[in-house]
Order: sequence, then structure tokens, then C-alpha cells
Amino acid sequence: MIRLVLAAVLILPGLLALGAALLGVYRFSTMLNRVHAAAACDTLGALLVLLGLVVLSGWNGLSLKLLLTILFLWLSSPVASHLIVHAEVRTQPHLAQSCDLMEIDGQGKLREMALTTPNEEN
Amino acid sequence: MIEKLTSLFKGFRDWVEGNGPRPENEGMPPEAPPPLPFTLKPPTAHSARFHELTIRERRRLWLESYGGDLFSSLYVGIGILACVLFVFVLLAAVAELPPFGDPGNPANNEVVQRYVERGGRETGAQNIVAGMILDYRAFDTFGESVVLFTAAVCVLMLLSTVADDSSSRTAPCRFVQNSGLTALKPVQNSGLTALKPVQNSGLTALKPVQRDDAILRGVASLSIPIILLLGCAVVVEGHLSPGGGFSGGAILSAGLILCANAYGFDRVHRVFSERTFVRSSSGALLAYAVMKGWSFFSGANHIESGIPTGKVGNILSGGLILPLNICVGLVVAGTLYSFYALFSEGEI
Repeated sequence: MIRLVLAAVLILPGLLALGAALLGVYRFSTMLNRVHAAAACDTLGALLVLLGLVVLSGWNGLSLKLLLTILFLWLSSPVASHLIVHAEVRTQPHLAQSCDLMEIDGQGKLREMALTTPNEEN
Repeated sequence: MIEKLTSLFKGFRDWVEGNGPRPENEGMPPEAPPPLPFTLKPPTAHSARFHELTIRERRRLWLESYGGDLFSSLYVGIGILACVLFVFVLLAAVAELPPFGDPGNPANNEVVQRYVERGGRETGAQNIVAGMILDYRAFDTFGESVVLFTAAVCVLMLLSTVADDSSSRTAPCRFVQNSGLTALKPVQNSGLTALKPVQNSGLTALKPVQRDDAILRGVASLSIPIILLLGCAVVVEGHLSPGGGFSGGAILSAGLILCANAYGFDRVHRVFSERTFVRSSSGALLAYAVMKGWSFFSGANHIESGIPTGKVGNILSGGLILPLNICVGLVVAGTLYSFYALFSEGEI
């Protein structure tokens, strides 16, 4: 019973986080905002849900597999989001109109990106 | 009679070659297209801030440009109707299925009985599925591997830019010119992130190509060895546990693709070049054909094949299943990786 309650305490916020991710994907207007919502909440939600399942199953081989799944998800999911955002930044020509672009110079400092918006020329 | 046939044939040939009307329409006056139920306005040019609009606003814009409420309501109604009908058809099909686990089901025939009762002894495989697809039905699996190999060869022929001269090096993306957002030209030997903005295409405001992605490289250096080891294990243990050549080969190719993304295609070329691909794939298929050919030949002529099945559960058991799994794994890994490399680079 205690185990069930503990698992519920873990799983329900996890589902809440996943629901927030879903809501964010549909509600936000630009792609970068959507990725932000999805990536952050996905990682947290998956962690909480899988930890709850670990609590439910107790210490055995299954929970070890679940822990490995958490490790894999935490390795792969943020990197996948990072790459998706990378591709968006590379390929979206109107990016500067929806957000401020900064770039990292040689010393690791952020500075404003020098922009030549091609649309204003036309 | 013969004249009629000749004219029919001529009409058919014209239709095939694309000149002249279809044969059934010959001699009939051309019909005017039916009037549209709504006025078709040209789409308004998308403003630069179009991507900021919400989905609802985009839908409103779309409706304003493309038609009235009649079309949209018809579309939605027909869509819902089709979905509901499809759901009902599926549910009806499920309701008609025979009860689960009933011994009188048509699927429970002597074939299944034979597999379950004598599969382990006859094939030496602990994993009955592996025993089925690589022993009882190995010819079918051979065909599947050949299909994969043929697909890879066709893609190689269509997309490969290695044999041509440098003028046609951008053959896989010959629509690069005048195409706006999609005007991305893959840079040679630089992986997934190597998209270089083409000049004068609205992308000049972007950063230059950044070839090394520290995040991706860190994760890749951790996970590539594990992925490759897991792939090898899944291939080799195909007759003992779930897995086998197809899934293990897919895992192996995933590791190769990740390596190519993180470190560039040059790094993969050291272990897996086009030569390796051609040799490993065709060699694996040939080995498969020879081994299984001998097995079929001896089985059909009731000769002792001389292939030991071994003790069920050992790694060296299952007769031909282990080498066949390795062959299939080689073909699948090479094919999937070469698809990726060809579509993104134009060469393996």
C-alpha cells in the first residue's frame, strides 16, 4: 500500500509534466518555444514515470532495466532536441523576426548577432 | 475488324505515349470542367511573420484564400464520417476474430504443432522464431535479404555521385537552385549538421558551418561502443534470445549513423567504405545462398547434411542459424547505413 502511494506520488506529477509538454507543443507559436516545452517536460516526465514504475516493481531485474532506460532517455532525448533546434536555427530564414539572435564569439561571450535581413532589401 | 483493332491499338499507343486523347474519349467533344462550388481565389502571399501565427489564425488565413465555409464543412464532415466508418470496420473485424487461445482456431494446425513440439530438437535453436525464419523458412528470409540488397543497389545507382565527374556532384539535390527555404546543399564529409546556407537564398544571415558539435560528440563517444556491442550481441545470440539478424543489423547501422553524424563520414569510411559495403553485402548473400542451398539440397535428397545442431542453449548451436544470422545482420546493417549515407552525402 505504501509502495502504491509512493509510486502514485511519483507517477502523477510525471503525467502532469508530460501533459504540460503536450499543451506546450500545441499552444506555443514558434518552433523553438515548442521544442523548449517538449524537451524539458519530456525529460522530467519520463524520469518521474519510470521512477514510479521502479518503485512499483521493487528491486529486481525489471527495475534495473527501467533505470537503464532512464539513463538512455536522459542521454538521448536532450541531444535529440538540441540537434532539432540546431537544424531549425540553420534553416529558418525568418528566425530573427521572432527572437533575438545571439552568437558566441571566440572568448565564449555572448554578443548580438550582426544581421543582414535579406527581406528588407526587396 | 482488323481496321478496328488497328485503330484501337493506335489509340492505346497514343495514350501510352501521351499524345492525343484517351481512346475512350476519341471523337467526343472536349468537356468543359465542372464549375467549382466555391470561388477559387489565388492564395495570398505569406507574410514574413507567417510562422508566428497560431494554428487557428493560419487556418483562418487558409480559409480566406482557398474557399468558403461549404468546402471546409464538407471536408470536415466527410473526414469524420470516414474515420467513424473505418473505426466501425475495424471493430467489426475484431469482433469477428475467433476467441483467443481456442484450440479449434484455424491457426492451430499441424504446422504450429510441429514447430512447438519438435522445433528445438530439429533446429537446435532455443529461440523458436529464429528456428522458424532461418531454418524452416530460410528461403523466405533469403528473399527478404535480397530485397534489401537490391533496394540498396538501386539507391546506389540513382544517388551515387562518386563515379561521375565533378560537374554533377550535386546530383542528389539538383533542385537547389531557386527554391528558397529548401535551398540547403549538403557539404561533403561533415555529417548531419553540415548544412551550408546557399548564397543569395535568404539564409546568408546564418552562422557558418559549425562542424564539431561538442554535445553530440560527448554523448556519441559514450553510446557508440555500447550500441555497436549490443548490435553484435543481438546478432550473435539470435538463436538463443529474441533478436537476430534483422534487429541486430538495424542496431549496428544506428551506431554507424550516429558515428557519421557526430564525427563525420570520414571517420566511418575508415571502417565502412563503399568497398566494404559491396563486399560484405554480396559476400554475405553468397554465403547465405551457398549454405542454405546445401541444406536444402541435402534435405530434399534425404542425405545427411553433416551440420551439427549442437546442444540447445549453447552459443555454438542451432546448426546454420548462427552464420545465417550474421549474414543477414551484415546485409541489413550495410543497407540501412548506405541508405542514410547516400541520401545525405551522395556517396557511401
